[in-house]
Amino acid sequence: MSAAVPQPLHLAVLAAAAWAVGALAFAWRRARSFGRRVLFAPPAGDPAAGVRYAFTAALLPQAKESVRLHLPSYAAGVLFHLGAFAALGRLAATMAGLELPPGPAWAVASIALLGAAAGLALLARRAITPHLRGLSTLDDYLANVLTTSFVGLGGAALLHPPLEPAWLVAAVLLLVYVPVGKIRHCVFFFSARAAMGAFFGYRGTFPSARQGG
Amino acid sequence: MTVASIEERIETLTEEQLRHGLAVFRAKLRAPEAAYLNACVHCGLCADSCHYYRTEPVLDNVPAHKLDHVAAAFKRHFTAAGRLAPGLVGARPFDRTMVRAWLDAVFGRCTLCGRCALNCTIGIGLPRVFRAARAALAAMDLVPDDLQATVDNSLEHGNNMAITRKEWVETVQWLEEELQMETGDPGARLPLDKHGAKILFTVNPREPKFFPLSLLASAKVFWAAGEDWTLASDPGWDLTNYGLFNCNDEQAGRITRNLVDAMERLGCQTLVIGECGHGFGAARWEGPEWLQTRYPFELRSVLELLEEYIESGRITVDPSRNPQLVTLHDPCNLVRHGGVSEPQRRVLRRCVAHFVEMTPSREHNFCCGGGGGQLAMAQYKDRRIRAGGMKAQQIRATGAEIVVAPCHNCIDQLMELNKEYGLGIQIRTVAEMVAAALVTVGEPAAEGKATP
Repeated sequence: MSAAVPQPLHLAVLAAAAWAVGALAFAWRRARSFGRRVLFAPPAGDPAAGVRYAFTAALLPQAKESVRLHLPSYAAGVLFHLGAFAALGRLAATMAGLELPPGPAWAVASIALLGAAAGLALLARRAITPHLRGLSTLDDYLANVLTTSFVGLGGAALLHPPLEPAWLVAAVLLLVYVPVGKIRHCVFFFSARAAMGAFFGYRGTFPSARQGG
Repeated sequence: MTVASIEERIETLTEEQLRHGLAVFRAKLRAPEAAYLNACVHCGLCADSCHYYRTEPVLDNVPAHKLDHVAAAFKRHFTAAGRLAPGLVGARPFDRTMVRAWLDAVFGRCTLCGRCALNCTIGIGLPRVFRAARAALAAMDLVPDDLQATVDNSLEHGNNMAITRKEWVETVQWLEEELQMETGDPGARLPLDKHGAKILFTVNPREPKFFPLSLLASAKVFWAAGEDWTLASDPGWDLTNYGLFNCNDEQAGRITRNLVDAMERLGCQTLVIGECGHGFGAARWEGPEWLQTRYPFELRSVLELLEEYIESGRITVDPSRNPQLVTLHDPCNLVRHGGVSEPQRRVLRRCVAHFVEMTPSREHNFCCGGGGGQLAMAQYKDRRIRAGGMKAQQIRATGAEIVVAPCHNCIDQLMELNKEYGLGIQIRTVAEMVAAALVTVGEPAAEGKATP
């Protein structure tokens, strides 16, 4: 189902990916260079347990009021990210010269298209919700448009191979932009959440004594 | 000499002062805060977690928007993207306009309660970032005057209400007479400066000043438990530390030093922090960091001590003596940021006949609105009372007649909310509930059962 990848685009994707990984690594190292805080207060809990909790149960609706109150947005966010992972997986496979069999290709296309629809929904929500519009910078819109395009074209190109070059162009644009704007959260989500989990774990707040309200 | 208003001080800020503020901000950041400042995706899901936003749903009250003021300056001065494409990523310079935005966001619209951190999609610890921003403002002499005055009182007088040593000692002596009358025991004491006592008990100055019965209740429980304890007469009896809120770590460390010095002076084994959320947070968690050392003694919350007395049988309590419906307020600095959520619950379940939780509770609690130094900042009073509306709703929903709050700052705010929102509640400390339930020698304990 995949068209032959034009060599220059192939190389451009690889170069953009190298840039993205390198620049993200630089940003991460720069943030790390701010240093660790040496703690003198004795712990009341286990920071590692706090981190585990932060990445698991603390993300679920029963432990997170913001999720419970905004389930459609939460679901859209999950779908959008699943779509992005599916499209990235497909990109990796394409770069490796692998062609997806029809069954998995349909699954990836479906997830990607659903993800793109979720991305559009989130974009619309950002544009029409007053406090979200007020929060938003050009970066917020651009990051969404680039990701949604990449995810959507990734799904569509599986069903309609002539779209493949357009998808690869979208991939290049997205990868170039990743370290510049908010998509950096693909790295900083993990370091921020780990730090938060360790903080509350150290103090004995995480894992929660009783989840939810 | 006329003291310039905070707006006048902003207006006359020099470039050097701005650079100094930014340098202090940078110096307060570590890798976690750098990650937080890189991580916000502006999803806006934090909005409803904030009691300010819930009671006044405007953009300025969205936690991500408050963070954005700080992140904008961070990006502009400390990231390549912010320097090269500020318009794209929302980077802005640290100038007078930004200083005003920081002041309004981190002092005027935030109690540092941290509820947003738990509800953040990413997990951004906003209070840690806001503390760095407050530190920068403090370095530029831009702490709201009445909050700074509270800190200055502690630095100058050894307590935040400028109570003289004579007043304090006389209050303790008067309360000792009251304790002797109440217990019928002429040997009942409120010891002052007892060298070698096992416990140094510290209190919020609001107790001797406005709520002496709180201190009396604690003393009665210590008496019943046969505790070897003392109060300090010199600096070291006040557990509060508004340095936690002005975020001037040098000043906060000097205030913490009062406690450490008192422990050394009196040779006590355990420093017991009375019922005060921020006092516990400051002494337990931040104090060692401010002083850059581990304490050479044990530190505990009085709530843990009260639980130990009951569980070990050192005191006997009768829940039927507190027959009203009781609920519990969770102070943010004690529970969410302090990790002490269960001892007070176990104590109350043994001491009251009917206990009901607020929803949500524990680390998910709503701030009462008085935290973060808000009670000391008169210019934000209207916002504070409005933001406290969330706590008022929670209390009303329980139907409780008594709200127990193990924090005197929270109690002050709850008293105002009680009046403002017509809640018709009584507000008590945990020790007051324990003291009311105490069964002393010779008294029969009723068969009352506490609700589980």
